Amino acid sequence: MENTNLILDEDEVLRVKDLSINFGGLKAVDNLSFSIKKNQVFGLIGPNGAGKTTCFNCITQFYRPTTGSVLFRTKNGNVEELVGQNVHDIIKKGLVRTFQNVELIPELSVMENVLLGAHVDFKSSLFAQALKLPKARKEEQEFRERTMDVLEFMGIADYANSLCSGLPYGVRKKVEMARTLLCDPKLIIFDEPAAGLNDVETDELTLHIRQIMEKYQCSIFLVEHDMGLVMNVCDRICAISFGKFLAEGTPAEIQKNKLVQEAYLGEEG
Amino acid sequence: MEKKRPAVKGFSNKQYIGFIIFGLCLCLIPVLVKMGVLKTSFLNIIGGSIIYTIAALGLNILLGYAGSSSLGTAGFMGLGAYISAYMSADLGLPWELSLIIATVIPTLIGILVGVLSLKMSGLYLGIATLCVAEIFRKTFSQFTQVTGGFAGKSASFPVLFGTIKLKQTGTFVLLIVFMVLAMMLTYNLVHGQLGRALHAIRSSETAAQAMGVSLRKYRLVAFALASGYGAMAGSLYVHFVRFVYPSTWNLLLSLNILAMIVIGGMRSIYGTFIGAIIVYAVPDLILKRIPVVGSYNGFAYVFSGVLVILVIMFSRGGIAGMISGLVSKRKARPAETAAAAGTDDSSGAGTE
Amino acid sequence: MGTFLQLLLRSLESGSVYGMAAMGIIIVYRTNFMVNFAQGSMGMFGTFIVTAVFIHSGWPLALCILIGVLAGIGVGSLVNFAVIRHTKKISAAGKEIITLGMMMIFLGITPMLFGTDPLRLPKLIPTGSLSFGGADISYNSLFNIIFGFALMIIMFIMLQKSKLGLAIRATASNENTAKLMGIPTKTVTLFAWIVAMILGTFAGVMIAPTTSVTTELMDSVQLAAFIACIFGGFQTFYGPVVASYFVAIGSNLLIYYVSDIWGQQILYIIVILFLFFRPVGIFGKKVTKKV
Repeated sequence: MENTNLILDEDEVLRVKDLSINFGGLKAVDNLSFSIKKNQVFGLIGPNGAGKTTCFNCITQFYRPTTGSVLFRTKNGNVEELVGQNVHDIIKKGLVRTFQNVELIPELSVMENVLLGAHVDFKSSLFAQALKLPKARKEEQEFRERTMDVLEFMGIADYANSLCSGLPYGVRKKVEMARTLLCDPKLIIFDEPAAGLNDVETDELTLHIRQIMEKYQCSIFLVEHDMGLVMNVCDRICAISFGKFLAEGTPAEIQKNKLVQEAYLGEEG
Repeated sequence: MEKKRPAVKGFSNKQYIGFIIFGLCLCLIPVLVKMGVLKTSFLNIIGGSIIYTIAALGLNILLGYAGSSSLGTAGFMGLGAYISAYMSADLGLPWELSLIIATVIPTLIGILVGVLSLKMSGLYLGIATLCVAEIFRKTFSQFTQVTGGFAGKSASFPVLFGTIKLKQTGTFVLLIVFMVLAMMLTYNLVHGQLGRALHAIRSSETAAQAMGVSLRKYRLVAFALASGYGAMAGSLYVHFVRFVYPSTWNLLLSLNILAMIVIGGMRSIYGTFIGAIIVYAVPDLILKRIPVVGSYNGFAYVFSGVLVILVIMFSRGGIAGMISGLVSKRKARPAETAAAAGTDDSSGAGTE
Repeated sequence: MGTFLQLLLRSLESGSVYGMAAMGIIIVYRTNFMVNFAQGSMGMFGTFIVTAVFIHSGWPLALCILIGVLAGIGVGSLVNFAVIRHTKKISAAGKEIITLGMMMIFLGITPMLFGTDPLRLPKLIPTGSLSFGGADISYNSLFNIIFGFALMIIMFIMLQKSKLGLAIRATASNENTAKLMGIPTKTVTLFAWIVAMILGTFAGVMIAPTTSVTTELMDSVQLAAFIACIFGGFQTFYGPVVASYFVAIGSNLLIYYVSDIWGQQILYIIVILFLFFRPVGIFGKKVTKKV
């Protein structure tokens, strides 16, 4: 019975269906549905307070949605319902995220911060690690090498041993992105990746997002305010306002959409 | 632009050598005492500092890494001490076995406290651990069948493998061995997956969860380690001091251990030892010789209390932080100088 | 029935003591956003001042208490200016550790100033008692109960009606907004510490005759006050004070009817279990961090 609901199309990675969440009577997300395909950059846009981040949090189970389902094709190809799972189990499925305000650990080096992204992939027991048995030692070394690969890919290898606290904002954003790449992700959620970046950095980000998608063969789901970035980088866009679905389509279609224009103009006026 | 890939720093054994050399240096103390250079009381004072270092290392994992405060350290130390004394003196179990039991039982209780911590935020946790410590303290004085009540309980120096009877000097060396082992263990734990996970929990619980860190599991591990280290220290205490009173395990001892890690340096292994020396040994060895104030009881607490406040206000890294700050200023790495441009969120966010 | 009434009266007296300490904790918590673990040791220090003055001067106890209040103003200000003023930018955990450091200082400085021997402080009203319904109550206990009630009521009226009370409540609800609206939050902070110090001294002087004046005088009072804050919630001023009386009744009943050896421990276990199931108190709300 349950299995009949757990079906995704061949090329689908994530399907959000009838997602709603209430905060004390206020519907922050209202009956939202969309789906993300393999190797797709999917954008979620909307005016301030449209419920974009809440939508993310419902998918990653930081919030428990009131109703609706979130189906996800995991790393090993199974389709699973994410609603109701532990927050810390989500990354194991191959769904990983960044944060609006860059949540790195200031006391740790860039290398160690990114290594946290491989947390769930460590096989050796705590006991083996405490005694630094050869197996644990080898594993740690392997992950460190892999981390260095990722850092090189992101162009921040020089910072590997610097503490995160002293780094420029742009670098820290890259560190956080690098952290999502270690766990063999199938879908990466970027929460406002361009916030706080200057124009040059934003252009670089556009390039990075496409590169990540191609190299890691994953889908990318981003919430963004910077319209330029969204229009340049996304394959498909979903626009919402006050938690409600407005429109979905290619960047060009969204740009022309009357409802979307109104929602944005309404905000400015 | 072709760049050379920076070398990947892996696990190294350099730290091990450091800890061992450090332990060997401490082993010189009994030699110096034998030669008459140092007083015999020196052995007691440094021995005490070593015991507190072990307990403080555990608390450092909990507070420094996981960011959960506990005011129950003394209670767990006391529990370890009483169980160990009861097992070896009353039941006649071998020293090794009583040490293990005296470590394992409090660890399990520590895990229970950890379960409580899962649901509590900072201030409530502090109060809850205060309650736990009070429960222990009251029990120590009232459960006379095991603890001897206010009269106290005595134990003897350890007998290794049932044959080697240690005296004070031997026990002192044994303490050093345990401290060095504890340091190595701590080093391995905090520089691997566990350390990163605990850092993540302290820094941001949400980010930690997003990275797959189970708050439940790692909080419990941190509590287990803190209480386990504390209990082991307590067990070593009772076999070194050979006597234990309920009043030893009061809140002031917990505060002292907290002061050790704050003053010495949160998240620093050597710093913990430095802190233990400052809080426990310096008052006995130096402060007492200061004219007028030094002769007063209580001056040591004022000294530590003032230091704690100053460290929190001005130098969060404690003494270890100050030392490493001085070292890194000398050899600022190129990447860091490049990074000096923008240092915090606000300056970065302002560029848009 | 007489026993129960006796227990109830005794609980009202210790409830007054706990209530004052709890009020001290809560007023500091609400205005400084700081859990003051030094509340008990501050009260202990104040009690030592009163006792020392009483012993050395031979003046009436009431006058000595007044001197204790004046000293309390001094000590409270000193704490505020020397330490608290410099803690605005420190994290909650850091502030907690600072109060623990202050606790160490008070516990250390007391024997330096007043010696290590336990001192004795007599009751304010040395003799006389009432008996009714099979229970006895000394005039002093009666005075303590009434004084506790009266002081708490005055505090609440002050908080609700006076200008300073308004400033305190404004600071408690949002310090930054209060500052922007021209409320002298620094004065509020200073006042909070002075009040905490004086309330602590009162609590200490009230409990001192039942035991001896040592550095451990306030240990159990402080813990009881914290427990009251937990049950009553850190969010209101009245909650912890009301809860103080219930904590006193509960612990007396447990000790008398359940076990005089384990009663206290049972109470602590109840508290811990309560915290487990209601981790933010009865009235508290969980604040979820936005991500």
